[in-house]
Amino acid sequence: MNISEIQHLVERDGIIFLSYGGFLSQAIISAMTEALEKEADANDIGMGISSNMFTIFIELSQNMMNYSKSKDPNCHEITPEGLILVSKDAEDNYYIQSQNIVELKDKDKIEPKLEEIQSLDNDGLKKRYRELRRSGQNTHGQGGGIGFYEIAKRCDSIEYKFSEITKNKYYFHIKTKININKKEK
Amino acid sequence: MTNLNIEETKYTPKINLDFEKGIVSIAGKSYPENTFEFYEPVMKWLEEYFDGNAQETTTINFEIIYFNSSSSKLFFDLFDLLEENNEKNTIIINWIYDEENESALEAGEDFQEDFETLTINLISK
Repeated sequence: MNISEIQHLVERDGIIFLSYGGFLSQAIISAMTEALEKEADANDIGMGISSNMFTIFIELSQNMMNYSKSKDPNCHEITPEGLILVSKDAEDNYYIQSQNIVELKDKDKIEPKLEEIQSLDNDGLKKRYRELRRSGQNTHGQGGGIGFYEIAKRCDSIEYKFSEITKNKYYFHIKTKININKKEK
Repeated sequence: MTNLNIEETKYTPKINLDFEKGIVSIAGKSYPENTFEFYEPVMKWLEEYFDGNAQETTTINFEIIYFNSSSSKLFFDLFDLLEENNEKNTIIINWIYDEENESALEAGEDFQEDFETLTINLISK
């Protein structure tokens, strides 16, 4: 993503109050989460919704951070890097979005989960989340696990996109929307 | 058997495992970098505790503000361990949440539904 695309995001989605691109570590994620807490506090966002925002933010950031750890240490192409943005528009919608580079085989793991999530309603999502959490499958790996289901439970909508860079590498972009005025599910 | 105390950090909760009182408290935020490693001593302690060292009544106080999905899975495993020991022991679980934090309440309700044999009290403060 280049600067003009970021500019485009700002114009489309209103105010960006947190953006970060680069190496991700637990310390950086924790510092940014603290900044988000202050933002939520300053804007009088209710605790339920702000907790959802923090969880989504943490989930997306830790996903990107952990993703690189599952790679061969000699594979220098995949580093714990990513882009994360938190923004809001005039209609009290908050957007948390991230972008990182994934390999084809990881796209093949992530995409079916997101497709399934998009096909489920709130009750179905809740049920599936609990099923997966109980079964224990997919939860110990770095391939997303129940993370995307956790995100989906806590936001109003998800958009995602894979853009091909090379045959084996893709940009993975995911955008979540949270309306702060809506009654919680 | 000894007590186990872990100080709170920005992303891990304050943990007090009190063997003499039979009280387990986990309070704060939970999004460790490696959740399963972080909670391993807690799970080990609980296993040892219920292996003949438990008090007559055991009280578990959970007060989690927000957490990541691997913590959610870990808490599930912890409830599972409690359920396994529920027949031979009296276990009371208090899921404490801020009354304004509907998300924390919902997480507690999910655990109630998943572990019907456990006594899980939802307590707002």
